[in-house]
Amino acid sequence: MDSFLSGAAQIFTLATLIYMLAGSIAGIVAAAIPGFTVTMAIVLTLPLTFTMEPLQGIAVMLSVYVGGYTGGLISAALLGIPGTPSSVATTFDAFPMARRGEPGRALSLGVWASFFGTIISTLVLIVAAPPLAMFAVKLGPWEYFSLIVFALTIVASLVGDSVIRGMLAGLIGLAISTVGTDPIMGRPRFDFGIEMLQTGLPFLVVLIGIFAISQLTSEVEDAKSVRSGNPLVTGAIDFQTWKVMKEVLLRPVNLIRSSIVGVLIGALPGAGGSIANLVAYDQAKRNSKDPDSFGKGNPDGVVASEAGNSATAGGGLIPLIGLGIPGSAVDAILMASLMVHGISVGPRLIMDHADLVYGMFIAMAVASLMMLLVSVLSMRLFLRVAEVPKWLIVPVVMVCCVVGSFALNNRVTDLYLLGFIGVAGYTLRALGYSLAPLVLGVILGPIAETNLRRALMTDADPSLFFTRPISLIFLIAAVLSIAWAIRSHLKHRKTSGRSTDAPAS
Amino acid sequence: MSDAGYDKQQAREAGEIARLLSYVLILLASVGLFVSAAAIPTSRFEKLGAGAFPKIVFAGIALVAVIAIIDALRKIPAGAYGRFACQTVAWAKRRALVFVVLGALAVYLLAIPLLGFSIASFLFILSLELVLMPRTPMTLLIAVIVAAVFSFGLNWLFAEVFTVFLPRGVL
Repeated sequence: MDSFLSGAAQIFTLATLIYMLAGSIAGIVAAAIPGFTVTMAIVLTLPLTFTMEPLQGIAVMLSVYVGGYTGGLISAALLGIPGTPSSVATTFDAFPMARRGEPGRALSLGVWASFFGTIISTLVLIVAAPPLAMFAVKLGPWEYFSLIVFALTIVASLVGDSVIRGMLAGLIGLAISTVGTDPIMGRPRFDFGIEMLQTGLPFLVVLIGIFAISQLTSEVEDAKSVRSGNPLVTGAIDFQTWKVMKEVLLRPVNLIRSSIVGVLIGALPGAGGSIANLVAYDQAKRNSKDPDSFGKGNPDGVVASEAGNSATAGGGLIPLIGLGIPGSAVDAILMASLMVHGISVGPRLIMDHADLVYGMFIAMAVASLMMLLVSVLSMRLFLRVAEVPKWLIVPVVMVCCVVGSFALNNRVTDLYLLGFIGVAGYTLRALGYSLAPLVLGVILGPIAETNLRRALMTDADPSLFFTRPISLIFLIAAVLSIAWAIRSHLKHRKTSGRSTDAPAS
Repeated sequence: MSDAGYDKQQAREAGEIARLLSYVLILLASVGLFVSAAAIPTSRFEKLGAGAFPKIVFAGIALVAVIAIIDALRKIPAGAYGRFACQTVAWAKRRALVFVVLGALAVYLLAIPLLGFSIASFLFILSLELVLMPRTPMTLLIAVIVAAVFSFGLNWLFAEVFTVFLPRGVL
């Protein structure tokens, strides 16, 4: 109790709260810019915290972290461009909802889902950090590979109009992930002597090119509408924060399930918000009574995605606090920050610095409250984006995409890649390919390959994938997932009386 | 090609042919890359080499592409192939602005290392706005201000606040 009070006393000082508020704003704004990730925002914040007390510094970084997971929602909902990889699934329903004249509802749903997702993950973190951390590190490459196989079955939910083109897109994503140095032996692959391909295709540049450039280009397809000065969203913008809060709370099963998915995926080293939002979305769709309404502005889709990605913030801290293993790049930076202050992170952290750990728990809850406060107060300002005419927003956001792509590695060649992938993304979109499976393939490809090869290096016997219990559970889940997808596909064909593989023209 | 033309049926058929071409292209690329992956030397330290995972992926792509080609051939009526070129030109004409935007983006990306981020961005934003906007004195003024803020202003913000230095150019 003394440790808890000591941690609380350090958080609830005026200076810490002001710094945290600034961190929340910085996180939200940074993540709203396509290409500017939560990781980058945290890296930029790190030097500013060196002069602070350890807990104060960590609290500020947690504020940026929590704010960042919400910020990605803004461009996802209003522009159809995921601000961060963790808001890819948010574009599926928040964007159509915003386009049909409900951008305020889309943003509010996302903000409240993020808030509750973070709070639920903090509660899980407090209660279950040590046992969950012990479970997470017991997983070997067999379990990770089987988990990724299960995650790849999500493609079935994201295929769009055509199963065949959806599968092709997912496989193309996996193929993109194989370009560059191989993850185990460091052997060059598919670089064709081109220098910029030698280090592989940066995931973020692929994400921006595929989603942002193709979406912005699509905005100008209707020349008449652009030249008449039409904004992104027409009609009055409704904004009812409290009503939407009730709407989110009236979906307790979806909210809790998505948050738990976020916590569990966040707790696995190597996974994170980019996978959690897609898995949570997939689970919401599979458990919905009306799965066909997903992708057309279903509030459940927005809630699932945002609760799922925000809950990874708490989930990621589980192995960090329990075992000293960072679950993601952001957690590694948080760990580095603690080490800068002379605090060694590991299983003894909770024993040696209990006040710090309790302070982190409190900081998570306070950060989510600050995120909510900043989001609710600034929502009207962000919603003005929807009123900006297309002729202004298209060139400006394209420049933001260029900045985001360049700032990642400070490489001009990444810009050429952005242009190429942008054109490819628009072409695929025009041909009726669903782009979400492609991004899923790019995310999951390296994890799948690394764990498959690592597993077979450890033991050449492939039957271990089926004999290790947790691995087997994931594989059974993958089979059930595919069976469910086939069943629902056949059901849909039967009810609609036509093939879902109809041309998209 | 997800747009309804003057004749929806013909546009749909042209879209299906365009998709068929994409499947063929993907099939050829996947076969080529599969061969390239097979040439990657294996390692004696591991059962699978650097080429194994790509081979699985490209084989999967080739298989799905073949299924897609068969499916597409089944759907396309014989007469549609003759109308394809005409329909494609009509589709491209309706999307003239898209090609202008993509062309401007290409020129902008190539100009950044030469002109630097600020000047290239200013020219890109302003020229694209001039192409896209309804021209009035007010929109012209807004266009110039927005171009200046999001080129020189953004450069200043990143350099001074984030200490991220955007390309300066050589000219």
